[in-house]
Amino acid sequence: MTAFAYETYHLGLRTMRRFLRVPANWISIIFFPLIQLLIFSQLYQDVVQLQGFREGSSYLDYLAPGQVAFAGLMGVAWSAYGLLVEYRSGYMDKLRVAPIGRWSILAGEMVPLFFQAAAMAGIVLVVSLVLGAPLETGVGGFVLILALAGYFGIAFAGTSFIPALLTKSEQATSALALLMFPIFFMSTAFVPAALMPDWMQVVNDWNPISFLIEAIRQLMVTGYDWTAIGNALLSLTILGVILQIGTLWAFRRLAR
Amino acid sequence: MIEHEHDEDRRSTPRQGDLIELSRESSGRPDAAPKTSRAIIEVRDLVKVYGGDTRALDGITFSVAPGEVFGFLGPNGAGKTTTIRILATLLTATAGTARVAGFDVAADPHEVRKRLGLAAQTPSLDAFSTGRESLELAGRLHRMLGADVRRRAGELLELMGLGSVAGKLTGAYSGGMKRRLDLATALMHRPEVLILDEPTEGLDPQSRSALWEELERISAAGTTMMLTTHYMEEADRLCSRLAIVDNGQIVVEGEPAALKRGVGADVVLLQFEIPDGEGQVAQVRRLLDGIVDSDAVTPHPVGVALAVPDASAAIPALLRRLEGDGLSISGLQMSQPTLDDVFMKYTGRSIREEAADQPIILFGA
Repeated sequence: MTAFAYETYHLGLRTMRRFLRVPANWISIIFFPLIQLLIFSQLYQDVVQLQGFREGSSYLDYLAPGQVAFAGLMGVAWSAYGLLVEYRSGYMDKLRVAPIGRWSILAGEMVPLFFQAAAMAGIVLVVSLVLGAPLETGVGGFVLILALAGYFGIAFAGTSFIPALLTKSEQATSALALLMFPIFFMSTAFVPAALMPDWMQVVNDWNPISFLIEAIRQLMVTGYDWTAIGNALLSLTILGVILQIGTLWAFRRLAR
Repeated sequence: MIEHEHDEDRRSTPRQGDLIELSRESSGRPDAAPKTSRAIIEVRDLVKVYGGDTRALDGITFSVAPGEVFGFLGPNGAGKTTTIRILATLLTATAGTARVAGFDVAADPHEVRKRLGLAAQTPSLDAFSTGRESLELAGRLHRMLGADVRRRAGELLELMGLGSVAGKLTGAYSGGMKRRLDLATALMHRPEVLILDEPTEGLDPQSRSALWEELERISAAGTTMMLTTHYMEEADRLCSRLAIVDNGQIVVEGEPAALKRGVGADVVLLQFEIPDGEGQVAQVRRLLDGIVDSDAVTPHPVGVALAVPDASAAIPALLRRLEGDGLSISGLQMSQPTLDDVFMKYTGRSIREEAADQPIILFGA
């Protein structure tokens, strides 16, 4: 176990460097959520007059929690790309020849995604606050929101790793990442569930991203809502366990 | 269980001038074992079948003694890389056994990995790490301690002439620099065995000879090396012993000089302005009847090749015989046998599969 932690730590530091040293990585990740935050908060500002929105609050207040979560999603949507490139370049073989556990190689890619997703969400959260979005729970809520986004990052990363490991194709992996976006669009990121058509409400009831967004929304707009936080943790854990099992299974074939 | 020793005795005379110790640190124990008593690489009847019917390795057996530089020479597709990948625990053999530093690669891959350094055919580096970070990570993964990691990385960077670019991302390195850094990462943990797959593939001649010097120094410091190559000059220069491989089998094995002596003759090449192959061969055979066997006269793209035991002594007599008679010899070349001739002798083909040696066929001409 200590060997696993030691190896994951050193490999993880390298993964973080790889991410941070190419500014295009994080710029392209936060660009989309920030654009939505800036444009949609203006474009749809009158939508809050519809019922289902909280009275007296702006659309920015409603929109910000979803974009914070979206930044976390964007932060890991292409997360297996680096692993694939290194599988092809032979760097993966270099790691396989080192006297380290095979699972450490995967963990060295996965664990940093917690910080990656949290950091991306953090940037969007800070911009939201600058634009005037509330944060009722203060510093404690800020940390908790980042932790939730990071946890979501690890849980959700399987949507990139499973196709990457199975297809071993950078192109397929990139393209498939886009298929995850509709899941986000069908969450409560843009409008409350009450405004959705019936069938979409059913989808929403099972959408882990909505649970994440609602927890963040409570922390930003009302206060510590432990039911919402608990629901988010539970749904993300279920999502994470399923996707991680798939990832481990797919990785086994690659790393042996 | 502990079958391997750190065979320090192979380094009978520690070289004063060595900047750096490239092999394992001495255990401090007197080691009485004779030099070649134990093989550090031992491969027996290795077979690898891909996809059910492609026999990449067809029963390879060899062993490498501590301190040796053992070469695998053969054309592309001979099975060299497959052998390397099995030894490096990256691939499992279909049949046969391989032991590295005393451990079976299939049963104890982890123990093998601790003692092995591998430089693959294409340098595999993290483009977004610096040279120093790459080395330090390699050291960390081999459980080297902080102070040792920093000292060793610094030493290797200087040794490989990378001191000035140690802080630059490897993505910006030239081909030669990448090779040297890749080699350094393989040496970081002072491996007992260094395995190199086509170490100078794709390098320009200058970088190649610089790398050869590097490898010679590493070998002189006592590290056992196994390398694959399809460059004869490389095998000739670096290897103390080599195996010529073809179609997944070892064709012949021995010291380079002995293998070349085994060819038995020098080569005299008669160049003609208009080589016509068989006609000139027949003519030369007739003219040289009595002093050169007709078997030893063979066609060559630029004229006719003769295999003559002691060429420099025989040439005056050859020329007297060949003078006149309408043969317009435009040039004459004399060479000692090369490893290519050795390869030719055992396989009937040339190892130089490059297009330059192939006749150019123009369609419709």
